[in-house]
Amino acid sequence: MSGGALDGATRGGTVHSALTPAADRGAGQPVLSLRDLVVEFTTPAGVVRAVDGMSYDVFGGETLSVVGETGSGKSVSVLAALGLLRTPNLRRVSGQALLGGVDLLTLPEVELRRRLGRDVAMIFQDAISALNPVQRVGHQIAEALRVHDRALTAAAARVRVVELLDMVGVPHADARYDQYPHQFSGGMCQRVMIAMAIANRPKVLIADEPTTALDVSVQAQILDLLRVAREETGAGVVLITHDLGVVAETADRVSVTYGGRIVESGEVTQIFTRPRHPYTAALLGALPRLDTAARRLLPIPGQPPDPSELPPGCAFAPRCPISQGRSVCTEQRPEARPGPDGAGVSACHFPDEAAALLTRADSPGDTTASVSGGDAAAGSPVLDVQQAVARFPVRSGVLARPSAWVHAVDGVSLRVPAGRTLGLVGESGCGKTTLARLVLRLVEPTGGRILVDGRDVGAAGRSQLRQIRRSAQMVFQDPYASLNPRLSVGDNVAEPLRLQGLPYAKRRSQVADLFARVGLRTEHADRLPSEFSGGQRQRVAIARALASRPGLLILDEPVSALDVSVQAQVLNLLADLQRESAMAYLFVSHDLAVIRQVADEVAVMYLGRIVESGSVRRVYDDPRHPYTRALLASVPVPDPVGRADRRRVPLGGDVPSPVDPPSGCRFRTRCPIAVAICAEKEPPLRLVAGGHTACHLADETADLTPEAAR
Amino acid sequence: MYGHLVRRLLQFAVVLVLGSIAVWAFTFALPGDPATVLLGSDASESELAATRARLGLDGSIVQQYLSWIGHAVGGDLGASYYSGQPVVRELLDRIPATIQLAGFAMTLTLLIAVPVGIVVALRPHSVAGRVLQGYLTAGLAVPTFWLGLLLIIVLAVQLQWLPAASDFVPIWRDPAGAVTATILPAVAIAVHTSSVTARFLATSLGEVMGKDYIRTARAKGVPERDVIRRHALRNASLPTVTIVGLQLGSFLGGTVVIEAVFNYPGLGRLLYTAIGERDYALVQGGVLFVVATFLLLNLLVDVFYAVLDPRIRLT
Repeated sequence: MSGGALDGATRGGTVHSALTPAADRGAGQPVLSLRDLVVEFTTPAGVVRAVDGMSYDVFGGETLSVVGETGSGKSVSVLAALGLLRTPNLRRVSGQALLGGVDLLTLPEVELRRRLGRDVAMIFQDAISALNPVQRVGHQIAEALRVHDRALTAAAARVRVVELLDMVGVPHADARYDQYPHQFSGGMCQRVMIAMAIANRPKVLIADEPTTALDVSVQAQILDLLRVAREETGAGVVLITHDLGVVAETADRVSVTYGGRIVESGEVTQIFTRPRHPYTAALLGALPRLDTAARRLLPIPGQPPDPSELPPGCAFAPRCPISQGRSVCTEQRPEARPGPDGAGVSACHFPDEAAALLTRADSPGDTTASVSGGDAAAGSPVLDVQQAVARFPVRSGVLARPSAWVHAVDGVSLRVPAGRTLGLVGESGCGKTTLARLVLRLVEPTGGRILVDGRDVGAAGRSQLRQIRRSAQMVFQDPYASLNPRLSVGDNVAEPLRLQGLPYAKRRSQVADLFARVGLRTEHADRLPSEFSGGQRQRVAIARALASRPGLLILDEPVSALDVSVQAQVLNLLADLQRESAMAYLFVSHDLAVIRQVADEVAVMYLGRIVESGSVRRVYDDPRHPYTRALLASVPVPDPVGRADRRRVPLGGDVPSPVDPPSGCRFRTRCPIAVAICAEKEPPLRLVAGGHTACHLADETADLTPEAAR
Repeated sequence: MYGHLVRRLLQFAVVLVLGSIAVWAFTFALPGDPATVLLGSDASESELAATRARLGLDGSIVQQYLSWIGHAVGGDLGASYYSGQPVVRELLDRIPATIQLAGFAMTLTLLIAVPVGIVVALRPHSVAGRVLQGYLTAGLAVPTFWLGLLLIIVLAVQLQWLPAASDFVPIWRDPAGAVTATILPAVAIAVHTSSVTARFLATSLGEVMGKDYIRTARAKGVPERDVIRRHALRNASLPTVTIVGLQLGSFLGGTVVIEAVFNYPGLGRLLYTAIGERDYALVQGGVLFVVATFLLLNLLVDVFYAVLDPRIRLT
């Protein structure tokens, strides 16, 4: 990638070896220290303490990962420390944020700004919106240089910026300098952000969920680049994330946040293998794994804590599997105490009991794996998609005539029998959501046939379509947007029943049944969606989908917006519902680990086509398509042990435009093993090793050792 | 960028033609016939026929329109029924006065609206912010003509600092005189329009200040003043540009009430009088000018949009 530009560019002596940061730390001063940071907001519900006495140190050359769920205070703490929290309801920021011995919280604004971007730089989530849409990308990077070096001329800044763009792997840097952010892909925008952040060789780099909005293959590129950026600048990196896989791949040390505090810190291997806080252990148990499919996830019961009413004792106590109502947990707040060997701290009254949760999580898992397999595939499929095509016009020119077509879905066939789950996986823009919408004709098909229970969706008239839509229901990604905010959750769920003309009393009792089935409390039916958390809302959305007793559920990224602990609850709920009622699921997701957990069969999509399909075992354990292999290799594994041996070679570049897909095999432009025939002939989906693979070289990919392919 | 411009130009042309048809046709909707108006009700049939022929009123409707628009394009909008002067002459007499007043009023509007909008958006809870918010509400509520009268009574009649009736003093001949003559009506207009504009600016600026790229600029270490100047204002200016374009259009169409209050010899008063006198040729010509000006300003706003926001150039 961009390694060549960086060789030898690291500063001598300041780069610590990633493996022995502890040894170096004894000598050095931390480059950034948070001390008892408290952040409070004034809300209509009272004072909310979003950060409740958070402390951590970052040393030069190391990566500290701050990991936690939504609302745990991990982002708010750094934003407050750097004076970047500007909401009018910010009530108080206290404690210390020491940057090279200077407390940032006491600095006047002008002095603080002089240090931002020079000594400490930030990389934000969602880089596209973090860049000014009306300024040239190059100018935005140059500004970071010139604002701290008034003597730098525009011409000299340009030269330096082009170097930086080159370094972070933006091709044609000189031409790209003059472009605007909307002309960049999400991954490229994140590269620009990183170039901006390392421009002044800061001592601290803070990356706030830097890869959350990106596809796995691009995520792998960006994580590599962050590592390079750390080596280049010798900076201490704070990596804020919710993704335990990212943590395991990149961190030297980890701090786990919960309820506005650090509940556990330690070396990355210790955190993953011998956690000393039950929350850390529970999180690991709730995580769907790519490497081993558990029969059932172990969700953390309950909901994340409400920062406006934190309990007096341990914030995790109400959900804690080891507290078991012990009074010390509910009455006394545990202080962060170092472990017996002096390394790592845990804020738990019983730190030694936590690690036992991990082994407990493993045991019921693999023993019963894939019993559900069976021979259910015999019957006629609930969903039968035959050569479905969806094209959208691209209008341009003076008369806005369609000048080109986006081939969103281009000849896809798949079948889902009753009681089974087909996982549809692919990166953004591959057409998986369009395909899901085709099934209900929310998008008009351009060609092919789609049968739901043997009824042709494309040929259906109005009333027939209404019947089909009754038997095939959809659950959307964003439970905040897909529920009507003005209707109570009960009315939201009752909507399909009302459309069927059911009388009020009957609706009421059915809603109560549905609530019970999805694990919601019946007496909450009259509340508005805004009173519920994300996971609960997704339960409401599932209850609504179940209301018309569908035989097919189309789940479009149903857990992508949820935290890990809640995600596991929803995935388990879906599995239970399927076992009870033998519904067929079409489960669309970008998350390969989630698909492995839920699916029986998997189809991998790339640029509107299915490139590989088959049983979960076949696709995950014996992938024959180079794209599948690359995707699987890109997913960060939540296991730091042996990460140095996992030499990941991420896929280069971005997904090509579906307006003008490459000739022959669509993947050939990014394929590491493409040969001449790939450009000439489109490979058909053919039977390979018990599954289907669309690759000319499918028989040979198996001979590649996993190391070589990954 | 190029495609966007061509498409907008075509739209402009189409709407201009449709607008001109509407302007030309509207005389048919009014009671009375231009010939009867000119000659009075006791004119003979032959006199009427002769006058209609002279005015081109005897052909088919399509012919009438084509000859009217043909002449209009050639700079001939006919003669005023009332004064007999060419309509174009009459309009050209008044247009400089209108442009000068519009220019004054718009300059004042922006001079007030931009700082007020910025303060209200950034410091809504400060003393200045609250006072200025009061100004915005008052500026919207106070009728323009009433403010005009008040200004005349206080500044012209009682204090005698400025003239009560405003003659047109061209700024290129006597800048100081032009300012004294035009400032009162300009202020009367600008108080209202600046309140509208400042409100738009404050809303969009407030929104932009919460955007991710503003946080990025701060995290780069850009001083707050430059964050606002370089990053926030340009993004926030888009809705404001629209409203300013519309306001300028209405200024150039003539601010009828204010011109009447200050007895200012602008386009608005000319049209007002012409309507009263049923001087259809003059009304038609005047309205055609107003329509064309409005469309042209809209076109300019769209072009300016594309300059401000590179994303618009794509579509």
